[in-house]
Formats: sequence, structure tokens, C-alpha cells
Amino acid sequence: MSASARFGDALLRQAWLSLRLNFRAPMPVVYGYLLPVVFLFGFGGIFRAGNPPLLAEMGQLLTITILGSAALGLPTALVAERERGVWRRYRLLPVAPAALVGGVVLARFAIVAGAVALQLVLAHLVFGTPWPSQPLVFLVAALAATFAFLGLGLVIAALADGVPVVQALGQCLFLPMILLGGVGVPLAVLPIWAQRLAGFMPGRYAVAALQSGFTEMRDPVGLGYAFAALLVVGAAAAAIGLLLFRWDSAFRAGPRQRLGALLALAAWVAVGLGAAGTGRLRPLLPPGYAWQEITDAQIATITYENLPGDNELVTRLAPPLVQPFASTRLESVAARLAVWAPAQTENSGENIRHLVALAALADLAQDPQEGEIARLVYDRLRAVHPADELRRGLAWIILCPDDGTVVTSASAFGLRREIDENAVRNRAPLYAQKFLARELGRIREP
Amino acid sequence: MSSAPPPLVSLRALTKRYGATLAVDGASLAVAPGEIVGLLGQNGAGKTTLLECLLGLRAADSGEITLAGLDLRSQPREALRVVGAQLQPSALQDKITPREALRFHAALYGVAADVAALLARFGLVEKADARFDTLSTGQRQRLALALALVHRPTLLVLDEPTTGLDPQTRRALHQILRDHRTAGGGVLLSTHDLDEAERLCDRVAILHRGRIVADAAPAALLIRASAGTRLRCRTAQPQSFPDFQSSADGLAHAAVAQEAARAIAALTRAVQEAGNTLVELQLSPPTLEDAFVALTGDAWDDKPEAAP
Repeated sequence: MSASARFGDALLRQAWLSLRLNFRAPMPVVYGYLLPVVFLFGFGGIFRAGNPPLLAEMGQLLTITILGSAALGLPTALVAERERGVWRRYRLLPVAPAALVGGVVLARFAIVAGAVALQLVLAHLVFGTPWPSQPLVFLVAALAATFAFLGLGLVIAALADGVPVVQALGQCLFLPMILLGGVGVPLAVLPIWAQRLAGFMPGRYAVAALQSGFTEMRDPVGLGYAFAALLVVGAAAAAIGLLLFRWDSAFRAGPRQRLGALLALAAWVAVGLGAAGTGRLRPLLPPGYAWQEITDAQIATITYENLPGDNELVTRLAPPLVQPFASTRLESVAARLAVWAPAQTENSGENIRHLVALAALADLAQDPQEGEIARLVYDRLRAVHPADELRRGLAWIILCPDDGTVVTSASAFGLRREIDENAVRNRAPLYAQKFLARELGRIREP
Repeated sequence: MSSAPPPLVSLRALTKRYGATLAVDGASLAVAPGEIVGLLGQNGAGKTTLLECLLGLRAADSGEITLAGLDLRSQPREALRVVGAQLQPSALQDKITPREALRFHAALYGVAADVAALLARFGLVEKADARFDTLSTGQRQRLALALALVHRPTLLVLDEPTTGLDPQTRRALHQILRDHRTAGGGVLLSTHDLDEAERLCDRVAILHRGRIVADAAPAALLIRASAGTRLRCRTAQPQSFPDFQSSADGLAHAAVAQEAARAIAALTRAVQEAGNTLVELQLSPPTLEDAFVALTGDAWDDKPEAAP
């Protein structure tokens, strides 16, 4: 048997053994399969009103599953075996170390794939969530996300001296990504600073990549960056994790392991800086920037990969409306838009900002016709602002969300409830992105 | 003309430090085919570190290690192929079965092992498909030894293999090691059991504070250490004797004598002259413990060595 055949044989045998042993113990099954199902039903309970249900949340849901099984499950299994002396025994085998570690990683790939498949099937059967509309993109996204998080799992295994330390370190990764990284809480509803921070966390890119397998809203440039970010984070972590792999619990984690962990985190920083440098983390412009001075190059840095779909829970946007409108309220809204004072000032940029804020208000107030109101706002913007002016005005909202003034109520449109200004400022840029994407031809109307 | 086979183990001037602590200090040791060598030492003497360096689990700071003539540093995989090792801790995954473990290890060594015969030889047939976490300590130790032998190695390296075993299992394990020796294999085992070292080993190397202070057959060690016969006696009335240590009440007395007959004659004469009576006299032949004490100057501590 050649050396490569021996390597492959050892890798597959180790993978098969790891896989079988995983299913014999209750805890890996609970954490690997039962918990993701609980998450699925939790998400289903919260987001079942979506149309279709859960479609907009599948990226988040599957990222949580992959993150848990890969970045927590893998190091827990490895460190537990190392503490028992299993890896010390393996070290004496005449087999390349990478084959044995690789076998465990390969088994974990299969375990993650099983959990993802289980969630897809249950979501489809129980909630009627559609299958991924882009199966190939979804498959590549799932592999890239699993690769990235397994790499992080190897770093944790190298760093942790015991299973409790694995849990602690895992939570240090897990919780920030869940809460601030666009994984548990949708990126669209996070404050601006958290959205910027999320650009430095692989969870955001995993959500974007996985979600792109489900929703038709895709930005090829942004999607490419998400895949690249996952591969960079995963490759750096996997290389460091393998290099610093410890066979024996007698060897405690030292400066080498800590330095390695910092290098793995440096890949996150590099990805975040890359995103910031290429305009993927907004806002980019300093406060007080004049909207007229926004250049085409600055507009070109705006990306659209994380936008929710038009039928999703936030930032709904109805398809183009045909006159006469089906409801008298919409007739009234269209008429009032033409005379609404906040959109009649001498500053076109402010007028655009106020109109977009109106769409955000309707969305935040959960108006029954929020999607139609947003569509009427867009039609009004196009009717009164030249294309170039509209682009700069919309880009100003996206790049300088804290500038200018925003309206927080609009009783003339039946939106009497006062909405928090920060909420409006967070939501308005999403509508501005949707409108700008259409202006630039990045999204084509049906 | 055929040349003699190389020693299965050849350690030369092995040194290993942990910071300022010198764990192994220039140790040299050899194990020939057909030989069982015991490594005897106190807690922290460096036995486990020495075995770990020998197996490449820890990098020695200096020294040479060859296994069956293969340099461990330049040919680690080839060298380790000749070794079957059983270390502490020697646990496996909780849910693996003995049959699976043996098959897995055999496959990774690339050998077609007779797993059924191994299970039978180590008394594990009934537990062949039981999960590891349901096995007793003795069964786990036997499985560890079966795993060490799965690829039919010529050298066995065992770290305190009989710790925690019942006498019957211990005897069975000794027989397996003797069989291995008879078949031309070699065994290097660390042990805390002086009796085991004396009865099982062809040679015993005493490791003291990282240095091998003696390396010889057990009988030769006793001679080299000039370990004498142990004399214990009791007298009817309190009395003291030269060369004897007496208890506080002066009734119990003990000594180690190089010439037991002469010492007993002197003792009885002294008792008669004092009008006293000798009510009890015990003679014990010298043991490895006596040799250990004589060679190292330290008392023997019979607690098993903790992992570093």
C-alpha cells in the first residue's frame, strides 16, 4: 500500500469509528441533533408568520447549527479523548497525525451535514419552508461555513486544557456571534455599531452565504466576499489548529497556543478590515458629509448581500402598483405624498431622507400596507428627483445614517405612533439600499 | 556468519529537563531480545518521563535512543512499529468495544490480526462487544496489553501494568510477559512492585532522582548493595545490644547483618551473659527493598507513581 493510500485508509477508518462512537453516546446526539431541532421549533414559533415561513431565517438557523456542532462539538470530543489518553495512544501509531485528526474532522463534517439536512427536512415538513432555490450555492455555502467553524473548533481544541475550558471558550465565540454578529439577531435590526462589528465575525458571512441559497436576492460581488471570508477564516484556523494540536493532556496550553489563537483571530480582523476597506461595513463617511459631494466611487462601495427579501418580516416592498389602486387608502397615501411638508423643503437630500424614513416608519409600525406604502414612496422619489440626485440622496442615507433629520411619526398617513428615532435611522438605510439597488440595476423589478 | 541482533532498546546518556528540574539525568539502558527489564524508582524518580522519551512522546534534551537498531529521531514511524506500549492513563473512548479497538489498531498498523485469538488469550471473549466504560479495571488493563500486542511487536514497553489488578489477573499478565520473552521478545516495564520486579525481571534498573544508580539482575543487585539478612528478636527483660536498634521499652531489637550466623551467636551469648531470655527470633533474607535503600540511601515509598 502506498503512503497516500495508507493515509486515506487511516483517515476513513478514523472517520468511520468517530462517527459510530458519536451516535452511541447520548450527549453528542442531544447537542448535535436534538438542540438544533429545538432551535428550529423556536425559530418556527417566532417567525412562522413569514411568507413563506422561516425562509428569511434559514441562514441564521443553519449557521447556529453549524457553529454549535463544529466550533463546540468538535473540540469537546477531541479534548475529552485527549484527557482520557486516547490521543496519547494514537501518537504511537505508525500513521500520519493529519490522517487521525482529519478523520475526526471528516466525521464532524458528516455529523453537521446530518443536522443541517434534518433541519431542512423538518422545516419543510412542519413549517412549509421551501427547499433551497439555489442548491449548489447552498451546498458550497454549507461546506464553507462548516470548514470555517471546524477550523475554529481545532483552535479551541489546541487552546483548551479541559472540556470545561472548551465550553467557556466556545461560548466566548458563540455568544458574540449570536447576539452581535447577525447570527441570532438579524443584522438588519442591529444598531449601526453592531453591524460594523459583525463584519469582523465569520457568523455574518456564514448567514449571508447560507441565506443566498434560499432567497432570490443575491449580490454576486458581496456573496463572493462572504465565501472568501469563510475560507480565509477557516484556512487560518485549520492550519493553526493542526499545527498546535496537542496529543497529550500533560502538555498544557502555553504561549504558542495563545499566540496561535491570536493569529486565528487576526484572520477575523483581516476579513473585517477587508470588508471595511471595500465598503462592506457601513457607514463609511464622517458625520456632516454633504450629500451632494458623494461620488460614484463611494456609491460603488455599497453592497447589497445582506438585504432582506421584499416579502420578509422587515423592509417589505410591494411589487410595482398598477393604477387605479385597489384601496382608497393607497389613493390617499399617494395624494398626500405629493404635498407632504417634510418632503417639500429646499434641501433635496433631506427630502429624500424624510421620504425613505416614511417607508421605515410604516415598516416599524407594522402597518398592514407597509409594503405598498414603501412602493409608493419609491415611486414618488423617482417622480420628483433626477436619477443622479436620487442616487446620491439614497447613498447619503446609507453611508451617513446618523446625519440629517428623520421623521418619527406621520399622522397624515395614519402612522400616529411615535417611533424611536434610532429605530428609524437603523431601518431607513435598508430601504435606501433596496431603492438604490433598483436605481443601479442591481435588482431588477419583476 | 550471522551478527547478533541489535538490542531492542538502547538508551545512551538520555537527559530531559522540565525548566530547572532535571527529570532524567544521563540515563543509559539496554533491553536485549528475550529479556524482561524492570525500571524501579520512587515517585518522581523519572520513570514515566524516561518511558515517554523512549517512545517519542516527549522530546529528550540530549542523548540517543534506538529501538531495534532504528534511530527514534530520524526514523520514528519505523522505530515505533517494533514497539507495543501500554501507558498511564490507558483509557479508550467510553463507547468503543474491545473488538472494535483491536480491529482499528490492527488496521492502522496494517496487519491482519487474529482478533478472536487475542480476545481469547486475554480473557476478553465475553466482553468482546461490551462498551469500554462497562469494563472492570482488570479487563481494561488486559485490553490495553492486547492492544500493545496487536501488531506482534518485538518490544513491549509497559508503564506500571499491574497497578490495580487482582492477584489472579496479575499472575496471568506475568505469564503473558514470560511467554513474550520466551518467543524472543523484550519487555521494559516500570513497576512499583518490588516483589514483581524481583520475580519477573531478568534485570532491574534502579532510577533515583533521574539517574540510573544500578542496573543488574535482582540477585546481583543484592550482592552489589551488600544487603544483609534482617534479624528481629524479642527478649524477656529489657536489654541493649551493639549493632542492634532497640525499641523504647528495650524488649524488641532489629539489625541487618552481613553474616547472620555470627550475629546470632553474638546475640545469644550476650543474652545468656545478662541472664536474660530470648523469646523470639526472626530471620529475613535480603530483598530488593533493602538493595534499594542501600543503593539510594532513601526509604522505599510504595505508593504508585502519579502521572506528571
